[in-house]
Amino acid sequence: MENRLRVLRAERNWSQQDLGERLEVSRQSVNAIETGKYDPSLPLAFRIAELFGLPIEEIFVSPSRRSSKAI
Amino acid sequence: MFAAKWSDLTPAQRAHTRRVLWLLLVYAIVLPPLVWIRSHTAVAGSVPMLMAVAAALPVLGIFASWGRYLSEERDEYHRMLALGRIAVATNATMGAAVVWGFLQGFGAMPLVEAYWIPLVWVVIQGFQACVARSQPAGE
Repeated sequence: MENRLRVLRAERNWSQQDLGERLEVSRQSVNAIETGKYDPSLPLAFRIAELFGLPIEEIFVSPSRRSSKAI
Repeated sequence: MFAAKWSDLTPAQRAHTRRVLWLLLVYAIVLPPLVWIRSHTAVAGSVPMLMAVAAALPVLGIFASWGRYLSEERDEYHRMLALGRIAVATNATMGAAVVWGFLQGFGAMPLVEAYWIPLVWVVIQGFQACVARSQPAGE
């Protein structure tokens, strides 16, 4: 699933390790989510959204909307 | 468990690795004298069975550690990876065991002790982890 995680992380000058520590997941997990290899569970997606202070829809692009929504 | 560095492991992976290493140490200490006794003495009665159980217990502990790891792992991505590796390894190992069993039954292959099956299971997981590590990593 496409997402803006890398952009949001870069805006805060966080490494993947930094973001992982804040989310209580591993650096590898952050990388997998950013590269679209892994879609987070709903609880983790909510934690990500709350960390960045954004709705989930502004971080993750719904696959059904991907063709029409520009990031 | 197959990360390049100890610091890359999650807390649950480190705990599992420590448990497995201790159990392997116990196994390495227990097995040789049991094998020697079996080879050089005429044990009878329930003794061979007790010796076999003693040899198997550390290995059973390793499998119990796997189960504990899956329940302790809080990182959902690593839990998913572990479950995927276990599923592939289990399917491949069971398939190989079935094929080898029939080959043995039809006299096409020699007898292989069943305790090699778990080793094949672990090796397949290790192979999967090596393949995963060879993929390009993130930052």
